[in-house]
Amino acid sequence: MRILLTGAASPLGRAITDELGEGHQLRLFDPEPIDADERHEVVTASLTDVAAVWSAMRDIDAVLHTGEPPAQLPADELARDQQLLDEATRGTHILCKAAVEAGVKRIVYGSSLDLFAPYPEDVYISEMWKPLPTPAMASMSRYLGELTCREFARDFHVSVTALRLGTLVREDEVAEQTPDLMWLDPRDAARAFAGALERDTSGSPVWSRRWALYHICSLPPNPKYLVSAAAGIGFEPQHNFAANWRSV
Amino acid sequence: MVAKTRLAMTMAAKKKVLFLGAAGLIGPYLTPGLVGDYDLRLTDVKEHPDGIEVEHVDVTDYAQVLKAAQGMDAIMNFTVNRRDADLSFHVNTCGAWHVMRAAAKLGIRKVVHSGPQAVRFIYDHDFDVDQVPSRPSTGLYGTTKLLSAEICRAYARTHGIQIVNFLFNGLHDPPSGPIEGRDFPVMSVVWDDLIQACKQALELESVPGGYQEFNLHSHLGHEKYSLERAREILGFEPRPNMAEFYRRPVREVA
Repeated sequence: MRILLTGAASPLGRAITDELGEGHQLRLFDPEPIDADERHEVVTASLTDVAAVWSAMRDIDAVLHTGEPPAQLPADELARDQQLLDEATRGTHILCKAAVEAGVKRIVYGSSLDLFAPYPEDVYISEMWKPLPTPAMASMSRYLGELTCREFARDFHVSVTALRLGTLVREDEVAEQTPDLMWLDPRDAARAFAGALERDTSGSPVWSRRWALYHICSLPPNPKYLVSAAAGIGFEPQHNFAANWRSV
Repeated sequence: MVAKTRLAMTMAAKKKVLFLGAAGLIGPYLTPGLVGDYDLRLTDVKEHPDGIEVEHVDVTDYAQVLKAAQGMDAIMNFTVNRRDADLSFHVNTCGAWHVMRAAAKLGIRKVVHSGPQAVRFIYDHDFDVDQVPSRPSTGLYGTTKLLSAEICRAYARTHGIQIVNFLFNGLHDPPSGPIEGRDFPVMSVVWDDLIQACKQALELESVPGGYQEFNLHSHLGHEKYSLERAREILGFEPRPNMAEFYRRPVREVA
């Protein structure tokens, strides 16, 4: 499959490249230059660059939109949040519009489990719970991006899968740290993207079948964030931070 | 539900209200009905069509919004861009964020917002429609306004700002006389009714959950887009019922 991967220079983007690089042709899209394997194409541009996005969409079968912010953000808080908002909303709209007009049938988006942070600790959070984004732009912008993607599933014959991801940390880099219920190893996140990539309901006349939403997280001993629904895309986390949890 | 009794009916001291978009397609029609009861700061990026002085405030510039909001009791945000692919996001979405951010920073407790009306044509086959799932689609107006409403909700939850959002599908003058041979428009509101609703929103102490959307229209009879919550929470009522202008003459059969 020919895949356009956004946020390709981010840790999540690199993990997805490692996961899918062998079996697919990847076009790596990021504002930061990427020193990539010669099998892959690299596009160094912003999501808000309409011409670059349209050009990058040529001959693409699927779009994996990680939702990851650019590495280089302004130091000033206001300017940083303005850019995060613009990338997540206008940038996502530009990307999805180009995708559907180019005939792409599958889009996968990386949202965030942070949307459920306000809930108390003694509940099981599944996909049925109402997101409660706070004005913190890092998480609110991911939700706004998710809503933008969802409307494309409603309007067009395209499969759109949103993955609400936990906090990305590599298991081997957090040894002896106090574990967190939202931890997710980027390699497992990449497997979730690979699983979602296989989902194609673009031919369904029912919009809610073209749209799907999964929570993606590790499986601690007593999980708050339930990921059983994601078994539907073959998700089963391999990195569950067992050593960290044994020590608490 | 909040009872009508929550309305503060006396306005001893005029509230200071920042009016963003005062020279747009809606603002000039609202100002004459509000200016007697509120201390309005009229702002826009363009000249007022009637030559009334407005301060230049570009809602896409946070510093300008913050400065204009200093000392205000409430903000009415009637800015909108419908067609430009970039400006619609900058004005409708980022602009709404600037408004909410300024309100939170300055402790402003009331914001009046509008749109998106994303129910007409989708739910026209239903009746008593209210608080239905938003279906804005991928058009610039629907998308950007949907996102603005979500930003408003986030600020209402976190900062306790009370936000009233009006949904309507058209604005116009009242008929000047009886209209025969056709039905009245769906979900459209006359200027005086929107003025009435804005006053009620500005005077209301709080709304359930800090954020509420209200259908508005001026014509009773279809029983399609429900005004019940607008009645119960705001005290809104079309004055008069504009449907009365659309009556079929009935003559006695000889």
